[in-house]
Amino acid sequence: MDMLLMGLCVTFIGVAFTALAFVAATRPTSSVPVTQPQPPAVKAAAAPARFFSDDAAAPSIALPPQVPIEVLLHQIENHVRLEQAAAESFVAFPTQAQLHSKTTSPFVN
Amino acid sequence: MEHELLHGLSSAEADEVLALGERITVPSGGSLFQLGDPADRLFLTQRGRIRLTLPMMVRGREEDILIEEKSPGETVGWSAMVPPYRFTLSATAPLETEVIALPREALCAFCDSSPAVGYKVGMNLAILVGQRLQLVQAMWLREMQRTVELRAAGVGDAR
Repeated sequence: MDMLLMGLCVTFIGVAFTALAFVAATRPTSSVPVTQPQPPAVKAAAAPARFFSDDAAAPSIALPPQVPIEVLLHQIENHVRLEQAAAESFVAFPTQAQLHSKTTSPFVN
Repeated sequence: MEHELLHGLSSAEADEVLALGERITVPSGGSLFQLGDPADRLFLTQRGRIRLTLPMMVRGREEDILIEEKSPGETVGWSAMVPPYRFTLSATAPLETEVIALPREALCAFCDSSPAVGYKVGMNLAILVGQRLQLVQAMWLREMQRTVELRAAGVGDAR
């Protein structure tokens, strides 16, 4: 009988210990929802940073619209000069290679 | 200074032709003629520089794009000798520039009265026009080639 009571007590203690362990185990999970929003918050905070970093990386593509009009006009003028020089070379010595030679103009590269 | 239009003329003949004209000083930034203007005078560049431009839409704004630049000795405005006598470009001076303006009527009358001079001037003019044609033809073909290459690469097909 004593042994049975002892076993029951041990079992009870075991169950209680398991319950405590469960509570302890579930407590962090209950606190996760509190802490979990933080990573998204961090991500949310990081998202704009990435957006801006993407934006900062983009200028090589998005640069043309931001190039001052004077710079753009200078580039066009330079392109015309280079193309004219290339055309003059072709007229002076007409070959297919001369006709299709590439200039250093940013408009054709 | 020898003007390309007067190449092959004796200095006396060249002086006679130049005497038909009027010296004009165009201030820096000034306009010699505008696209579409009636062309009744041919210009021989004496000093400075002339920019020949065409209007182009850049970011919704009309901008004058440089097509060619003329230096002393070069001829500007041969549209004055070719019907319908309208300038097909605009000409401005990026710095103070002096030109000799030859009226078409006076030049034609002089060439009529002196056919030998008229022949040489006419040949020089043909060379100028021919060179421009060859140049523009080559530039046009280069642009066409690029357009074809872009089309072949599929650029612009998504529209």
